[in-house]
Amino acid sequence: MSSSGSRPRRRGPRVDGWTCLTLALLFAVLSPVAWLLMMSLKTEVDALAMPPRLLFEPTLANYTGLLEARFLGPLTNSTVVALTTTLLSLGLGIPAAYVLSRTRGATNGLAFWILSTRMAPPIAFAIPFFLVYRTLGWLDTLGGLILVYLTFNLSLVIWMMRTFFDAIPFSLEEAAYIDGASTWQALTSIVLPLTGPGIMASGMLCFLLAWNDFFYALVLTRSQAMTAPVAIVNFMNYIGWDWGRITAGSIIVAMPVIAFSLPMRRYLVSGLTAGGVKG
Amino acid sequence: MLVRSQPPRRVLLTLLSPALVVLALVTLGPLLYLLATSFTPLDLTRPQSFRFFGLVNYRQLLADERFWNSVMVQIKLSTTTVGGQLLLGLGLALLLNRPLPFRDLIRTGFIVPMILPPIVVAIIWKILFTPLLTPLNLLTIPLGLQQPSWLTDPDLALWTIVVADVWQWTPFTTLVLVAALQMMPGEPLEAARVDGASAWQRFVWIVLPLLKPALVVAGLFRLIDSFKAFPLIFVMTGGGPGIATEPTNYYSYSQAFTLTFIGYSSAMIIVMLAATAVLSAAIIRLPGLQPDVE
Repeated sequence: MSSSGSRPRRRGPRVDGWTCLTLALLFAVLSPVAWLLMMSLKTEVDALAMPPRLLFEPTLANYTGLLEARFLGPLTNSTVVALTTTLLSLGLGIPAAYVLSRTRGATNGLAFWILSTRMAPPIAFAIPFFLVYRTLGWLDTLGGLILVYLTFNLSLVIWMMRTFFDAIPFSLEEAAYIDGASTWQALTSIVLPLTGPGIMASGMLCFLLAWNDFFYALVLTRSQAMTAPVAIVNFMNYIGWDWGRITAGSIIVAMPVIAFSLPMRRYLVSGLTAGGVKG
Repeated sequence: MLVRSQPPRRVLLTLLSPALVVLALVTLGPLLYLLATSFTPLDLTRPQSFRFFGLVNYRQLLADERFWNSVMVQIKLSTTTVGGQLLLGLGLALLLNRPLPFRDLIRTGFIVPMILPPIVVAIIWKILFTPLLTPLNLLTIPLGLQQPSWLTDPDLALWTIVVADVWQWTPFTTLVLVAALQMMPGEPLEAARVDGASAWQRFVWIVLPLLKPALVVAGLFRLIDSFKAFPLIFVMTGGGPGIATEPTNYYSYSQAFTLTFIGYSSAMIIVMLAATAVLSAAIIRLPGLQPDVE
């Protein structure tokens, strides 16, 4: 899919009614997020003011309050778990994707089975994982979460990377063999570097899905391995609802994924539909 | 010269097997285990309850009114959210396919809802539907209107979830449809224009039929995902008031982890899995709706 960037630039599009409508819609779609951001910067008095205040003196008190609430621990857990599961999924998934690409036809059934594992709702995996972890003493451990995230990230990497390997002709490897390269050398020095963008995209999507998970973390962790999304929800069970911390925590958890998503928008479709759409 | 179209078999197996073993271990294994527990009265508070007792859970399920309520809630939720996302996604995709200043930036702005952590989406809409905190007060107070208690009114609560879900996932259908629009061949549209077809005629008779595969894929993925809806309900309504916003996925969670009836919950999930598989297979096989599953 080629976006407008690669096309020779036309004279700038005119601003017409449709453009204004699009911009108005964009404003409407993003304003709930803006409201969240504003709330996170308000004192409690400002947040509860009636009618609501659009102008107020911003404060970072809610963010510093997160430190007292030991939010750093869950935030670290989220980071460690998301990074590790991403590396594991890439390490296991990339070689498999390469094989499924090179043996296309013979392994289509296998590839389809891999895709179908993504259909099951998380609760279907949560129960057996919960029972096994309880027996093994793996509940509330980072390792336990990392393993369970492979249920969705491994198949994601395999499907995304298969498409990227498809784009690399076998003749390139063949040329390397003729020059005396081993299979390993051909793969690591010829094929892998060419799929760099694919690896980046799959890695980011893996990180995003693991970082965003709430359900597994809710079921499989208690305190030690609690991740940031669960910690935020726990602010709801304190004395009343601690809106300041809830909103500040939400903004902090949202920031990395927003930063990530900007460069990878064009891969989101192929990633999330896992090859269901060529795009 | 020997021309191979793939590396040696031994190498392929070495590269493939680790991933397959792990994948089988984390997906196939658990699903078989789940199937096994669905035939037991397994209850976390009662040791020794992991024993075979046939189809009792499944029979109980048929007689469970709360289960049938959850199915109804699921149907309402799935049809309205998927329908809404396809309609709005189509409109938005057409808008975004037009020449726009800063088009990449604007397109990126529209995807923010779907990449936000779902828990953050849930919190945003919890705030928006809480009368004490919502910016709706900017409108209702000057107009002297009273706000309903959105999240606790049995007639409204499900719609708050629908609104939040549509907001969260319309970007997905939009992205899929924008991609399809970009790959659309230009000739038929040009020919129709030359023949004097109006914009509306071109849309109905050319664009829409060409978009059908993309609409099916987008709808199918959203449909399957709609059975997984969890964070929105957990944070916004907790399935309430009563069981008004409790779809099957959420009900099975409550049975397993709020109560401790693992066996019963497992049976419910197995039924859900089977229904999902049958439904997806049926949709893909509908005549004329062959999505490009590749």
